[in-house]
Amino acid sequence: MKISARVKQLRELSLNAVEKISAERALLMTQFYKSDEARELSAPLKRAKAFEYLLKNKKICINEGELIVGERGPAPKETPTYPEISLHSMIDLEILNSREKVFFRVDEEVKNIYEKEIIPFWKGKSNRDRIMNLMTHEWMNAYKAGLFTEFQEQRAPGHTVLGYKMFTTGFLKLKEEIKESVSALDFYIDTQAFEKFEELKAMDIACDTIIMYANRHADELEKLAANEKNSKRKNELLKMAAVCRKVPANAPETVHEMLQHYWFIHQGVITELNPWDSFNPGRLDQHLYPVYKKEMEAGSLSTDELYDLLGCFWVKFNNHPSPPKIGVTASESNTYTDFCLINLGGVKPDGTDAVNEISYILLDVIKEMRILQPGSMIQISKKSPDRFIHKALDIIRTGFGQPSCFNTDAIIQEMVRQGKSIVDARNGGASGCVETGAFGTEAYWLTGYFNLPKVLELTLNNGFDKRTNKLLGLETGYAHEYKSFEDLMKAFKLQVNYFIDIKIRGNNVIEKTFANWLPVPFLSLLVEDCIASGKDYNGGGARYNTSYIQGVGLGSITDMLTSIRYNIYDNKKFGWEELTKALDADFNGYEQVQYEMIYNTPKFGNDDDYADQQAVAVFEIYYDAVNGRPTSRGGIHRINMLPTTSHVYFGSVIGATPDGRKAHKPLSEGISPSQGVDKQGPTSVIKSASKIDHLRTGGTLLNQKFSPQFFEDEDSYDCLTALIRSYFSLDGHHIQFNVVNAETLKDAQKHPELYRDLIVRVAGYSDYFNDLGEDLQNEIINRTEHEEVL
Amino acid sequence: MKGLIFSVKRYSIHDGPGIRVTFFMKGCPLNCMWCHNPEGISPFPENVIISDKVGEREFSNSKEVGKYYSVENILEILEKERVFINQSKGGVTFSGGEPMLQFEFLFEALKACKENGYHTAVDTSGYSSFENYKSIIPVTDLFLFDIKHLDEARHIELTGVSNIGILDNYRILLNSGKDIMVRVPVIPGFNDDPDHLKKLKQFLLSTKTESLKKINLLPFHKIGSSKYKRFNIPYKMDNVEPPAKGRMQELKEFFSEVGVKVKIGG
Repeated sequence: MKISARVKQLRELSLNAVEKISAERALLMTQFYKSDEARELSAPLKRAKAFEYLLKNKKICINEGELIVGERGPAPKETPTYPEISLHSMIDLEILNSREKVFFRVDEEVKNIYEKEIIPFWKGKSNRDRIMNLMTHEWMNAYKAGLFTEFQEQRAPGHTVLGYKMFTTGFLKLKEEIKESVSALDFYIDTQAFEKFEELKAMDIACDTIIMYANRHADELEKLAANEKNSKRKNELLKMAAVCRKVPANAPETVHEMLQHYWFIHQGVITELNPWDSFNPGRLDQHLYPVYKKEMEAGSLSTDELYDLLGCFWVKFNNHPSPPKIGVTASESNTYTDFCLINLGGVKPDGTDAVNEISYILLDVIKEMRILQPGSMIQISKKSPDRFIHKALDIIRTGFGQPSCFNTDAIIQEMVRQGKSIVDARNGGASGCVETGAFGTEAYWLTGYFNLPKVLELTLNNGFDKRTNKLLGLETGYAHEYKSFEDLMKAFKLQVNYFIDIKIRGNNVIEKTFANWLPVPFLSLLVEDCIASGKDYNGGGARYNTSYIQGVGLGSITDMLTSIRYNIYDNKKFGWEELTKALDADFNGYEQVQYEMIYNTPKFGNDDDYADQQAVAVFEIYYDAVNGRPTSRGGIHRINMLPTTSHVYFGSVIGATPDGRKAHKPLSEGISPSQGVDKQGPTSVIKSASKIDHLRTGGTLLNQKFSPQFFEDEDSYDCLTALIRSYFSLDGHHIQFNVVNAETLKDAQKHPELYRDLIVRVAGYSDYFNDLGEDLQNEIINRTEHEEVL
Repeated sequence: MKGLIFSVKRYSIHDGPGIRVTFFMKGCPLNCMWCHNPEGISPFPENVIISDKVGEREFSNSKEVGKYYSVENILEILEKERVFINQSKGGVTFSGGEPMLQFEFLFEALKACKENGYHTAVDTSGYSSFENYKSIIPVTDLFLFDIKHLDEARHIELTGVSNIGILDNYRILLNSGKDIMVRVPVIPGFNDDPDHLKKLKQFLLSTKTESLKKINLLPFHKIGSSKYKRFNIPYKMDNVEPPAKGRMQELKEFFSEVGVKVKIGG
């Protein structure tokens, strides 16, 4: 495949567009909330009407040469804000404007609107204010100390992946379903009937709104066509207008219609609110295949046209940076990436291999487009052909960090264990970084990262946090009072349970704020069984409802506990007194102690049971604390193990630790070993990582860095394929490869201007190397390079 | 019985088919000028000073290179790697140094590996007795056999030993029914003159049997040079540069006339 001139131009436009704040949405939202109408409405109707007001009044943007239309903002990368979720102060705007990494330019006009219109109206009224007022002292203290983060503080609940149904259904059909659902309401018996009635009315308005929004595009396209001199483009514009008149009102029947259909839905979701992980077409190869096949047989679509459409579609994702975040939320996930993760391969609903021609075509598109968004992954099942994996390795070897590799068989087992039907499980996959979900049927929310090593730090200090100078945890004793390693682990377990309780209490309140004040009638249309149950996506309307708390720092805490066990209890190399002093001094003057910890102590990632048993112990404690606890929308709390970039933030709030790590340095990421401690190569890392039970999680993240030499020939592809399949036969959930050599990265640090396109795998997603903070850059450089020659 | 091993490499993918564990056995009767594993030459454990940095402070420790492994130790390591070996149809490779120098241990190890179902490979310079090779044929699936130079005098000059026995052993193994991959180090200025390459191709062609599966052309590299300093051995190859990529490609085409697969690298 070769990118056409058209797609090349759109790609350049996207790459060169500058990230800016647009005040359009905030202003429209403020106007609506101020209106008399808004004051009188129930929450779902208010949100539906707000949605309608936004899409009726926002500027329509059509870029030159494009085939798929629609922008969230007035132009590519002009990014709206969501004051009803979180209000940016003038200082926040200044930070966004001037920060070096992941900036958003804020012009005078936007500042003006914010100062005069937005801030005066929303001050103290955003959901973030609401949440902060509702949280307990314990929650606030733990949050400020960096025990955990809160996902819903600046963004709405996310993890929404479009399933099979919505690729084959138009919104007119949904209106009929709503009608049926309304007529089935039983006002005599069902005490919730009225709430459902209001919700269903809101959903109906949302249907009309998205159809109206598509028609506004059709109007604009027809206007453009009337003035277009170039007859080829004129015909294109007319065809595009016809597509916008047809979808999303009706079910799509061609590739063009399906991509445009999805793209309207995507815009609807990310305009209604700012859910985490934007929105996701999920199993795109599966959805496109039937229409592709039909068009190929009918001869109505040429290969060039197909690649053109896909290229135009790809660029759209890249035009939409993740909404601007500030403070802790920016630290935990500081990136323009909005975590859309396109799934390729996997299995069909009947369990047979799902890899098809479109899977290979999309791999081609990923390779040629080479842009940050959308992210991509391949689902590998026992049944997937080697050729499919080889083709993916061909892209991975270029150091672009995509696609990542997922274990379909594990994902299905994880979901079936959670009680999902086998068909819903097979129709699912992973989204965001590595999160398991049933696409189109599940609302699976991440609620925050949990800082496991921080809990250990408190456990060694009688629950007291030296950084914030507060007693945060339980008074389980000081380090020297633990007579045995088992005593220490018992205390650690009590502390984990204590902080998880605080987090879950917070979650159960925060969920209710979204259900009560910020329902999402549009998103509810897309996820089964919201229409059938008459309940909102944010209020437990989905078929499956899961809330995750993401454990962070497994490698680090394993090394810390192993070091304590090995040096203090088992070998008595030094005592608690000396260790405590060394940690308090950040190892200054105690380098000998630090040296012993770093170089002469067993570490996670080397297939050494002495170290790895601590990983299993921590995993089980964490699992027991979280798994199965109910959520307030009728769902269940579960765990997964991924960090995004929170391992850097979490490290910054922890002093020196018993693994020899200096104060404030990053923690390990995902379930990968601490940076640079895996000395036995990838097979040992995989063995260590597979000792925890992945099947009882909703996703784990394993990052392996390879130098490009590992990809040099057909034999090495076979070995890498075998390596991946081996990990998956041990029930590993996910593995990704960072292919780049340290020299290149060091050079990129020195000459960022020469490496504008350097994309590296961070942790569950890829990012431009230049956009990473220096600490993250260093961390990636330091990760073990696997030596090619002995 | 124990064997002296100076390194164990997991995810070894260039010493035979699939994912393997390669055991590098210590001690070698040859003294090749370009050797990239100088720590494998002496048949005794050696001490080297390893310096590790913690902040600004450096800690120097004496580290023993070469540890004794029992056959059980070998099997334990393979068991840890079993999932990868099975999945990739890989196995175990004994390299060195010269593994045949510890023949008795090697034989027991190979036998035990075979009994446990592993594909076995021996990476050898060919410099050992006739009888020894004959004995390990039944427990070895693949020989990685080095041919460095055909001219005896030049061979002695470059490696310190004669090649007469080596070439005899090569002929025997070619008729063993086991797989052989010939490995030719390409050392610019030492064995890559047109005359020698022509003779070498002729030799490989004239001796060829069903057993010969592949020719590996191993380009000279200097990655081992830092080890010389650590082991206090003078490095004689400072002035030699690795062969260019294009040159290796030419050689690959040249040797493909032998009629087996030729690969640059292992």
